[in-house]
Amino acid sequence: MLATPIPAPSARKAALSDAALAALNEGKPENARISLVRVHAFGPAMTIAEYRLGNGLTVLVSKDDSAPVVSYHTWFNVGSRHEKPGKTGLAHLFEHLMFNEVEGRPAGTFDRLLEEAGAETNAATWVDWTFYHENIPRDRIGLVVQLEAERMGKLVLRDPQVTSEKEVVANERRYRVDDDVEGAVNELLYKQAFTRHAYGWPTIGWMEDIQGFTTEDCAAFYKTFYSPNNATIVVVGDVKERELLAKIQAAYGHLEPATLPIEDVHPEPPQTEERRTTITKPTPTAKITLGYRGPAFGDADHVPLTMLAEILFSGRSSRAYRSLVQEKEIATEVRGWVSTFRDPGLFEMYATARPGRTPAELLAALEEEIERVVREPVSEEELAKVKAKVELSLLQSLETANGKAEQIGFYATVLGDPAGAFARLDAYRRTTVSDVLRAARRYLLPTQRTIIEVLPEAAMAAGTQA
Amino acid sequence: MSASRIPMSSSPHLTPSRPTLLVESSPALPLVHLTVAFRNGAASDPLDKDGLARITARMLRRGAGGMTSAEIEERIDALGASLSAEVSSSVVSLHADVISRSLDAFIDLLAKIVGEPTFDEVELGRLLREAEGELIESRDNDRSLAVRHFRRHLFEGHAYGRRLGGQIPSLRGIVRDDVVRAYNRIFTRGNAVIAFSGDITDVRAQELADRIVAGLPDRPAEPTIIPEPTMKPGRRLVVVDKPERTQTQILIGTLGSHPKDEDHFPLQVATTVLGGTFTSRLMREVRSKRGWSYGAYARLPYEQRRDAFSMWTFPAATDAAACIALKLELLHDWRQKGITARELAFVKKFMVRSHAFEIDTADKRVQLRLDSELLDLPEGHHERYVEHVKAVQLEAANEAIRHRISEDDLLVTVVGTHAQIGDAVAKAIPRLDEVIVVPFDAE
Repeated sequence: MLATPIPAPSARKAALSDAALAALNEGKPENARISLVRVHAFGPAMTIAEYRLGNGLTVLVSKDDSAPVVSYHTWFNVGSRHEKPGKTGLAHLFEHLMFNEVEGRPAGTFDRLLEEAGAETNAATWVDWTFYHENIPRDRIGLVVQLEAERMGKLVLRDPQVTSEKEVVANERRYRVDDDVEGAVNELLYKQAFTRHAYGWPTIGWMEDIQGFTTEDCAAFYKTFYSPNNATIVVVGDVKERELLAKIQAAYGHLEPATLPIEDVHPEPPQTEERRTTITKPTPTAKITLGYRGPAFGDADHVPLTMLAEILFSGRSSRAYRSLVQEKEIATEVRGWVSTFRDPGLFEMYATARPGRTPAELLAALEEEIERVVREPVSEEELAKVKAKVELSLLQSLETANGKAEQIGFYATVLGDPAGAFARLDAYRRTTVSDVLRAARRYLLPTQRTIIEVLPEAAMAAGTQA
Repeated sequence: MSASRIPMSSSPHLTPSRPTLLVESSPALPLVHLTVAFRNGAASDPLDKDGLARITARMLRRGAGGMTSAEIEERIDALGASLSAEVSSSVVSLHADVISRSLDAFIDLLAKIVGEPTFDEVELGRLLREAEGELIESRDNDRSLAVRHFRRHLFEGHAYGRRLGGQIPSLRGIVRDDVVRAYNRIFTRGNAVIAFSGDITDVRAQELADRIVAGLPDRPAEPTIIPEPTMKPGRRLVVVDKPERTQTQILIGTLGSHPKDEDHFPLQVATTVLGGTFTSRLMREVRSKRGWSYGAYARLPYEQRRDAFSMWTFPAATDAAACIALKLELLHDWRQKGITARELAFVKKFMVRSHAFEIDTADKRVQLRLDSELLDLPEGHHERYVEHVKAVQLEAANEAIRHRISEDDLLVTVVGTHAQIGDAVAKAIPRLDEVIVVPFDAE
């Protein structure tokens, strides 16, 4: 049994009482016994109660009665970082397979039952995690608990479904990468920037790997990673907590925890010189993407570097937009983002050229802005502005039960802090101009960047600007 | 939460008229959503000025009330706000989100943007060049190429076939006087409908709405009136030819229906059976059984008039012809045999219960009301959605398919590499009347 810190009295009311938990646990086997880990304040008005079952399953509950709906997320601590060369894309393919047959329920039943109940359902996979979600009217929450528990423990994998789903994923890859210039360029950026770490291969996988998977590969992956002690359930919405936890105990309590493998990820060696690649693509205009080696999401430097990314790239008042799109008129679009990965990722920058403009012109203009933020501090006004912008973004993301559940699940899975979204907002608010300058000087180093330049194929290029 | 509709003033000659105001209050978050919409859209642009309404809407924030474009952008961001413009054939609207504490200051700014734009010549030139670059850049997006050419040919000669963002020649023909004329046409108090949602009361919303429109001319509504579209007879294939495509984008469709049609709900229910859920006929046959396409959907949108009914898939180039043949077969079966009682019961449950997610935030609720107001939808269209769906009978659904959806007048649009797929795709369409091949960079 895990240690249970005693929450503050006011927070304790946001979770079931000891007596209620004792009643739930009466006569239950060890794996099904539920305990309160702690209660997290989630912003000024919300709370998250964190529970854990005896089998290691984490359950996060945030009650929200603003609409008669519930969002139910299941986050697994597995993503493409857990794959091996030659088997890339397995985490993502597996996400697709989770919508197929379980013992006693033929393929198609999962979606059919949920749709009949009025649910929206989907899933996503990335480098560090995979999650599944259902948004459902509150009176059907029992169905979701039952179906999610069934596919965590009783998925059936057969050759015909695996073969068909491989074809679907191959088509998804064509859509997102092979026939999409930006997708292809982003894939190449990470391939060039990460020579050893698993972030170097795409979450969707290389095409030859997708086509080579066997049913046995999928079964082994399921057995290894899809266990209760590798999962976090997030429930946000209009729920009765006692009834919900009783349902979760009944549905998941029989599942055995797995012995999780030791994570065999290789740290990326330091980058000591710029890496640059030029490619041609069937596209009307040139593009450029840059990736500076950045900090992990949990690193204290991630916060000021994110603020810097906002100052440079967020919105029409940002420095890069104003310079490249408005003043120099050499780009149609410019974006930047610091990857939110568990291990150190990239500070990505991307710009699309106006017709007839070159990657060299885009790079020179971006470097002008980069050198400026390395050379001199940003202004207090700019920093205050992006603090307001990130606050707005957080509020927008919390409007629906699903939005709240996604924030909670993401921060719980990547940082181990379900309420991390608000902790991060506080960190943004505390950021100083000095912090931003320090981050700029630490990370925006030409020797630690990877550049992909995209030239349009001659027959495709749009003419020079009128 | 609470909702209200505050009508226009009954004394327009004595006091300035007030815009229609819709409010959905919810104190859940310190956030306010705001839409300022005008019942006049791109369909009212001169025929050789495609893109004018959109350019005009985009110009509002590029200098107003003594502020430069850069000062306005700085101010929006510093207030913790976002602002965007949206243009359809019949409506131009501005959407904003703002942190509650900045609402008052943001309204002052918005009143300047809406009521005192400067339409600076230099800024206009800059925006027109930017918009031209965006048009060229959009050639990268195969899905958007498919949609554009599908609409262009389905609604040939009609407002719905025009490109809202304009074309390079039309953008090059826009001058400041055009923008000023479009502004005067669109942005009047009579045309305005304002919607607030979130952390705001009715009283506050009314006060802020009055401030937003204070600088607008007090003229009665002059809404864009769009004629009902008709469809060119016959079966046509449009291939948008683009090099090196490993995949295709395929849209098959014909004219759809409108909420004013008595059989709109029956057709909507039947369309959901065909391609509106993950277990729909299209998804099951194209994706689940064959793995041909990541997605397979049927849609029945509407605007002020009937829009297009369409089926969308995106298979590999090698599967394109077979996928088209399958879709035509599914369309034929759907039309000839109809949907089954079991399918109807299932989809009605899905549509009724999932409606909770159409109304689970104050902003979603107010947007539905705004939709009713701007598109002049039948009374209770959204409010009684659940009743409408529950009332659909099997025979009505199947009759709606047969009555509204033509298999003879059909447009197939494919984005792909013509040399690779052209012949096979044409052979997959029986009774084909016309094949049109369009270079991907034709626009």
